[in-house]
Amino acid sequence: MKFDVIIIGGGLAGMTAATALQEAGLRCAIVAEGLSLQNAPRRGFSAAGGTLLAGDRVVSGRFAGDRLVAVRTEKLGDVELEAENFVLATGKYFSRGLVADMDKVYEPLFGLDVEYDEDRSKWFDPSFAAPQKFLEFGVKCEGGKAVKDGKAIANLYPAGEVLAGVTSAQGDATEAIVKSAVEAVNAIWRK
Amino acid sequence: MEEIVMQETNISAKNFEQCQKCSLCETVCPVMANNPKYAGPKRSGPDGERYRLKNGIFFEDSLKYCLNCKRCEVACPSGVRIADLIQQARIDYGRKAPKLRDVMLASTDQVGPLASAFAPLANFSLGLSPVKGLMDLTIGVDKHRTLPKYASETFVHWFKKNAAAAQEAFGKQISYFHGCYANYNYPQLGKDFVAVMNAFGIGVQLIDGERCCGVAKIANGMIAAATRDAKINIGAFGKSVKEGRDIVTVSTTCTLTLLEEYPELLKVDNSAVRDHISLVEQYLYKGIASGALKPVWKEGFKARAAYHCPCHQERLGWGIFTTELLKMIPGMELIELESNCCGIAGTYGFKKENYKVSQAIGKPLFDNILAVAPDYVACECETCKWQIEMSTGVPVKNPVSILAEALDLEKTAKANR
Amino acid sequence: MPVKNEFDVIIIGGGITGAGTARDCAMRGLKVLLIERQDIATGATGRNHGLLHSGARYAVKDSESAEECIRENKILRRIAANCVEDTGGLFITLPEDADSGFGLDYQATFLEACNKAGIEARAISPREAIEMEPSVNPTLIGAVVVPDGSVDPFRLCSANVTDAVLHGAKVLAYTEFLDFIREGDTILGVKVLDTRSGETAEYRAPVTVNAAGIWGHGVAEKAGVHIGMYPAKGALLVFGHRVNNVVINRCRKSADGDILVPGDSVTVIGTTSTKVPFEECDHMEVTPDEVRLLLREGCALCPALASTRILRAYAGVRPLVADDSDPTGRSISRGIVCLDHETRDGVKGFVSITGGKLMTYRLMAELATDAVCRKLGVSKGCTTAETPLPGSMNGRIESVSKRFEGKPTAGQKGAAGRQGDMVSKITFETEADKQLVCECENVTLAEIKYAVRELGVRNLGDLRRRTRVGMGTCQGTLCIRRAAKALAEALGQPELADKLAADYLDERWKGMRAVGWGDTLREMEFMQRVYKYEKPYSYDEV
Repeated sequence: MKFDVIIIGGGLAGMTAATALQEAGLRCAIVAEGLSLQNAPRRGFSAAGGTLLAGDRVVSGRFAGDRLVAVRTEKLGDVELEAENFVLATGKYFSRGLVADMDKVYEPLFGLDVEYDEDRSKWFDPSFAAPQKFLEFGVKCEGGKAVKDGKAIANLYPAGEVLAGVTSAQGDATEAIVKSAVEAVNAIWRK
Repeated sequence: MEEIVMQETNISAKNFEQCQKCSLCETVCPVMANNPKYAGPKRSGPDGERYRLKNGIFFEDSLKYCLNCKRCEVACPSGVRIADLIQQARIDYGRKAPKLRDVMLASTDQVGPLASAFAPLANFSLGLSPVKGLMDLTIGVDKHRTLPKYASETFVHWFKKNAAAAQEAFGKQISYFHGCYANYNYPQLGKDFVAVMNAFGIGVQLIDGERCCGVAKIANGMIAAATRDAKINIGAFGKSVKEGRDIVTVSTTCTLTLLEEYPELLKVDNSAVRDHISLVEQYLYKGIASGALKPVWKEGFKARAAYHCPCHQERLGWGIFTTELLKMIPGMELIELESNCCGIAGTYGFKKENYKVSQAIGKPLFDNILAVAPDYVACECETCKWQIEMSTGVPVKNPVSILAEALDLEKTAKANR
Repeated sequence: MPVKNEFDVIIIGGGITGAGTARDCAMRGLKVLLIERQDIATGATGRNHGLLHSGARYAVKDSESAEECIRENKILRRIAANCVEDTGGLFITLPEDADSGFGLDYQATFLEACNKAGIEARAISPREAIEMEPSVNPTLIGAVVVPDGSVDPFRLCSANVTDAVLHGAKVLAYTEFLDFIREGDTILGVKVLDTRSGETAEYRAPVTVNAAGIWGHGVAEKAGVHIGMYPAKGALLVFGHRVNNVVINRCRKSADGDILVPGDSVTVIGTTSTKVPFEECDHMEVTPDEVRLLLREGCALCPALASTRILRAYAGVRPLVADDSDPTGRSISRGIVCLDHETRDGVKGFVSITGGKLMTYRLMAELATDAVCRKLGVSKGCTTAETPLPGSMNGRIESVSKRFEGKPTAGQKGAAGRQGDMVSKITFETEADKQLVCECENVTLAEIKYAVRELGVRNLGDLRRRTRVGMGTCQGTLCIRRAAKALAEALGQPELADKLAADYLDERWKGMRAVGWGDTLREMEFMQRVYKYEKPYSYDEV
């Protein structure tokens, strides 16, 4: 299936970007594991004719050169979702935009470069109420584009909490999240 | 010693330990919102599982209120198979013998043949109010329910008499899992299926000794019988695949059962045939999108349809195939309804104790349909069809039947020769 | 400064040993004061496996400990039925054990030693072992079945305290020992600090018992007495659910991480053993190396642990005691150490009870009480082995939960499992009482009210030890705010709620940090979000 833009993740960042792009006339699809999407914005996106793959998740991507060409999802199996541009709005650990194991933090869908501290002892502050460093980790970004093995991917735009330094777990981050989504929208729209 | 990979994955039965207790499942559970006796998916599923592992005494009777719509699983951000956990617990711990009523509602392929043979009589007596009142009192089927009508001629009977002989002529062949509904209650769906497939140049064969998929038996605790049927079906599918025919289904619920419940709940291994089972809309979409199948649409076709995605289609994640397919039809105005459960959930809504809850669950959907006021509702699920038609009076059509109407069957046949 | 002298005996330390001693002394008619600087069961008592040893672990090397264990094992099953679960235990032999001299020959030695110590042990085939406990390492080459079980040390300690109080003892928690009141070579009593009010007080009694675990070293120093003690840190991991239903041990010389115990709704692997300085005893952190070691050894017992969610890590400090008979002080005494400081050091009115293990607490208490009674000239004998503890009269969850009208709810069944027949004191008067505060562990508002009313709860940690509130999968993410509110109201101090929640969050956070990856890290992010940003749940429902 072909779309103009595929948005991976349906939280605040993904939904903001998807609705804006769909209303601007691009054909968008959201792949969202779980019900991160709230009902009201979801209605707006659907009303604008957007396609919503709820309860499904991206499992892999197909790259050609410095571009992401298509993704596959768990439920659609061998039916690929192709697009000109992709927005990565998968959030942090809870929504599995980032995964931590005993030794490292990684981005599970495409193996993107992640900014994190290799010294585990720095991840947490003993006081629950203090700022927690692990919440600041996130994917690297170069000119608004995601980075893999040190090289920017030309059509993959991270937005929201998957980005380093953006988290809503320590206080209201609506502004930063929406701002990053708008930047992704602008970058895609300029093309 | 081989180095063990530690803590890379978190594995637990039906992912119950992935649960973060975020409680999103509770916000989408249609039963929890309408029945205070139900503890909800989180507590009945992953929470309950932890304590059941400690001691079976923690099994709760209230798990029976789960209608297995699987909306909790769609909503879960952690991949927990919540509804499966609940069904599994009912299988493992709920040891009471099923009621006669449950056995009758569940044994679709045993009661079906009897009823079809005496269809006029069965339909007459099932529709007559004193009889319905009696059923209400004696076996607990709610009297407000219009029970599904039984057709006088089964699909299989019709197929053998009228269509079987012509199938050999087609180069490509598939096996059709018609399910109990198309066979006993609504043979027209089967007839439409054959017409559409044949138009695309595909021959239709029956599954050798097809049994009920077993969903109703699972829901009503008849696990041994369901497992026996599952093994027969998987054996027959294997034979079909070996002979080069994939299996195509029309019912979302049957499909989910064949694909997911067989290995998860009945422990029947379907891995050899799994990738060869498709829902008809998925099968046709893929064929048309790849150019292998060439539809020729009727001129002047016009319809305004509202698509209701059945719960089990949501869980399969394949609703997009239906909508993309229907959007291909020139003259089709398709409105996608908001995602809601209709409340029937197979045999659930037929039970007297569930009637009120069932109707309350469906209300948002009914209101949505009445507000949209479409020509008809497009929906893949047979039990949703009963519920929506009974509750709104708006007719419900299966997408296959819509295709049968929208396609120029003769020209399509020519294009696909 | 008030001076009081209304006690026969003062016991320092509210761990299981002190609690057991308080009970025994009270049952023999003595006027007892128990002081504890924090809550009961906060030291090593609450920081171990919760293993009801059969004694098999000690059978080969230390038959005396083995015999003590199996005797006490049988006694605890009788007197503490609601704290004990009869899971049975396995001692497995793995192929690699044969390479290090602990093959099936050793198993034969082990079996013989068990039977000699009176421990019913029998060898079974690997296949039978897998049938008995499907999670066991399938490469095992032999297994022995022993009567191991699990025991909840919090509840056991609480039941002893409750019974001591029922027999007239006075218990002061959050009361820290400062110094002795001393006249010449005689101890006359103690000076204490109420850690919450900041007030000091003095209590007098002819005998004082030091039952302060590793902190007993410092207590003895204050009396000018030296006990050669070594703090030995033991780290453990808690897995998210019951991976096994039978205790799994390794049939070889005792080593790190070789016991896997199913306790209540979880499974615990342990332990390590590292000597640590005394200054660290109050601030135990589990290190990444310890986590790795426990996981590696745990996986040898049960490979599924490699991919099972770890809820948290914790560590306790064992009080190892140097053997008095060894002048170098290097060899460690294995068993119970009961010191009458009058005969040993010439200090009158002072007894120390230490060494030993959770399993033998009752025997330790008996020995200490015997020593106290000798000093006081009391001749009444010990009856703690025959008298059931509160809650265990009819402790099986199945029979207890039948006491409720109609079908018991999950919360009532949970309470029955924890509180045994004391559940009859939990009153479910309103619908709110039946509401679950902690959904992971099935703890109702009524059980919280009961714990505050009857079990001396002051903060959420205390509440956790008595009810499991916040001990489940989410580690309190969903319930801490609700529980804090319920507790603060039950205490009659609603303004305390935020402080109670904040303290408990820090405590939960500590255990999670050590294993902060995978699903536990996801939970940690969610926990931060719930308490720092969102309020998606109605905390007013309680």
